[in-house]
Amino acid sequence: MQRLSLFTKCLIIFVVLWLFLRFFIGSVWSVPLPASVISMYLGLILLAILVHVSVEDDRFREFLRPVKETLADDDRRTRRTVLFVLIPLVMLGLSFSRLSTKADPPAVLRTAHPAPPTELEYRDKVIGLTQEVENPFRHLEKDDTEAFKAHVDNGRRVYYQNCFYCHGDDLDGEGHFAHGFNPPPANFQDPGIIPNYQESFFFWRISKGGPGLPPAATPWDSAMPVWEDHLTEEEIWDVILFLSEYTGYRPRTFGEAAH
Amino acid sequence: MKKQSYNTMLISVAGLILLLAVFPIPVLAQGKQAPAASEEGKVLYEDKCAHCHGVDGAGDGSAAENLLPRPRDFTRGLYKIRSTESAQLPTDQDIFDIISNGMPGSSMPAWGEILTENEQWQLVAHIKTFYDGFEDASPRLIDVSDKVPYSEESVTKGKEFYTNLGCVDCHGVVGRGDGTSAPDLTDEWGFRTWPANLWEQWNYRGGSTTEDIFKRFIGGIAGSPMPSFISSFRLGLTDEESARMNELELKMDGEGLSEAEEEEYAGLEEKLFMFEDIMLNVEEGVELTPEEQTKLDTALKPIFEKSWHLANYVKSLGPEERPQAAVGDKVLRSQYREGTLPGMNDEAWNEIKEASYFPLVGQIVIDPRQFNPSIDSVMAKSFYNDSEIAFLFAWDDRTKTLPQADDETGETVEDALAIQFPVKISEGPTDPKPYFIYGDRRPVYLWSWKVAEPSTVTEMNAKGINTATVQSDQSPIQAEGVYKDGQYQLWVKRSLITEDKRNDVQFAPGVFIPIAFSAWDGANGDVNTKRAISTWYTFVLDPVPSNKRFVYPPLIALISVGLLFGLKSSVRRRQDT
Repeated sequence: MQRLSLFTKCLIIFVVLWLFLRFFIGSVWSVPLPASVISMYLGLILLAILVHVSVEDDRFREFLRPVKETLADDDRRTRRTVLFVLIPLVMLGLSFSRLSTKADPPAVLRTAHPAPPTELEYRDKVIGLTQEVENPFRHLEKDDTEAFKAHVDNGRRVYYQNCFYCHGDDLDGEGHFAHGFNPPPANFQDPGIIPNYQESFFFWRISKGGPGLPPAATPWDSAMPVWEDHLTEEEIWDVILFLSEYTGYRPRTFGEAAH
Repeated sequence: MKKQSYNTMLISVAGLILLLAVFPIPVLAQGKQAPAASEEGKVLYEDKCAHCHGVDGAGDGSAAENLLPRPRDFTRGLYKIRSTESAQLPTDQDIFDIISNGMPGSSMPAWGEILTENEQWQLVAHIKTFYDGFEDASPRLIDVSDKVPYSEESVTKGKEFYTNLGCVDCHGVVGRGDGTSAPDLTDEWGFRTWPANLWEQWNYRGGSTTEDIFKRFIGGIAGSPMPSFISSFRLGLTDEESARMNELELKMDGEGLSEAEEEEYAGLEEKLFMFEDIMLNVEEGVELTPEEQTKLDTALKPIFEKSWHLANYVKSLGPEERPQAAVGDKVLRSQYREGTLPGMNDEAWNEIKEASYFPLVGQIVIDPRQFNPSIDSVMAKSFYNDSEIAFLFAWDDRTKTLPQADDETGETVEDALAIQFPVKISEGPTDPKPYFIYGDRRPVYLWSWKVAEPSTVTEMNAKGINTATVQSDQSPIQAEGVYKDGQYQLWVKRSLITEDKRNDVQFAPGVFIPIAFSAWDGANGDVNTKRAISTWYTFVLDPVPSNKRFVYPPLIALISVGLLFGLKSSVRRRQDT
């Protein structure tokens, strides 16, 4: 068996890397890479290959040898003819499909976790500075477990009468209306949600909903209702207690860094 | 020695056969049994299930009030989805399967993705404690062994039975759940219930395999108006005899029967009575004599066969999966067409194979809210030419409701659709769209269609949910709406550009334009904010493919040929020197 020429090796490396970027990363690993990123990587890979083969004169000559042979030698005529037909055809196909592709829908950018306002409000009543307000019933967890349980139970009732349509029976964002919305409803079972925010943040997002998001978070398509129109202040604090009791995740407290 | 072992084998084979005959296979197929009820099961039930099904299993949890179908009341032992015969309890495996798979199209999620298998079995055990009848119950399984394989022929037969056996009364002529009795159905508990839209297999509560469908026919759906299929037949009579009996009964009510006919009728009745005795024994669990068993099997066989045909027909109606929503590859693309745009019934619409699918859910943002929408999607196709755009919208609605007073609220309700666009199309990915329900300070432009005036689309603007106003200056818009077999179709045509640029959206090729829907089903009490809605989607007038694609690619190909030959001769020249 013949040893592979340097040119063939380089070609194989290039094709394998392209396949890896184009298909493997997208399907096996994570989300597909955008075409522009792939072409950037391929450019770098090509550059690296060219640098590698051209550092020594001998190696460069070795690299070009099969190319020259294919182009000029009489005994490579068949291969030459095939390539001379194939290459223009591929160019034709590629440029035709490039010009015929349809426009892609615009990407929707959004800030997933916008910064809360400085002051927390409920129906125009200022509750306090967002950074300082605490859940008024949280202390019952230590002081009066019976009363605390009553608040959690009330939160449970509020949740299953209002929230579970979208956020789901198991608080996993998979409610029976969830498929109708984009962005999808929050998944409270995601360890990145509850532990990263203070209870006051949840109070703000629940009471003001999608329309209460700051201009910096636009364009928002959030279907989160303005719950201060439907729920009392106490009900909102109770449902926040329920979210953390059910999932077992504790919201951040002040002074504690996000993990 | 050898001979003896041969004999032993024979005896054991015979013994095995005898054993199988004594213990029929269905018993083996009952699946796993639930463990004994435990405290863990109770705690789990109260954490995961009680908010809908109630602490005592009466289907009266705090969430129940806003749900339709209602959460099941376990205290009466009526289970919809069973592998057992009519009026039987479910097997433990049946209850487990429902917990595990959930009930598509209702608010019951698939707990199999959340709880462990052991936890689900504990729930089964706890749920059974709500009804005494489970103690030493051994429900009879539906025999699925004589399945009729799917074929065109079977589907045709099934379709015939579908029409003749009264399925149409509830499920409608083509099966969209739009039968004449659809608006008046209630379940055992008096709550409203809608017949299934058989085209939406992804919503079949008990699964959509042919076996699943077959079991619903034979076992019925307990607590709902869906009967067991067997009850629609006169057991003991042949099809001809049954038809003759109908004929005689009609005559009896009318002109009366002759003596010979009366005798004939009595004979038929006799046959029926004999069978009733057998059925009574079956019901009470009295063992049948071999003779009776044969009679029963013979009578049931054709009914089972018909049910398989019917199941094959139902299976043939639609896709198993909910269509993908109109985003990404499925985005609505208005196709360019030269000349006049197709009208409502034009064949040209069939050129677009797949309509774009826009899912709708209840409007639960602003009071009064709709927690149980009956319209679950709008489908759309579109064409445009140099000056106009035409849309064909379709949505399923089980009832055609002309303006009428709602039974409960007294408000005037009617079927309607609103198609919503922003007045100004956002210019970049960070440019905000109007609020998805009727806009905010950024106004929306609406096409409002109502069933009472099916050929009119009214232009409206809104800057918030209760602020929709009719435009004083209506652009000429053609429209035509038709209701047929449980589905509305609405055709709308407008010019791409209108004079009222301040209030109307302007359509231009290549621009992605946001679109959203609101739909009202009058028979479901929909009015004003109480309705089904979609979030924003986008659509595009697909630009006419550029003619450049016929010029540049050949040029590029030619150039590459030239380059290759140039390279070749330059290499040769260098080798020569």
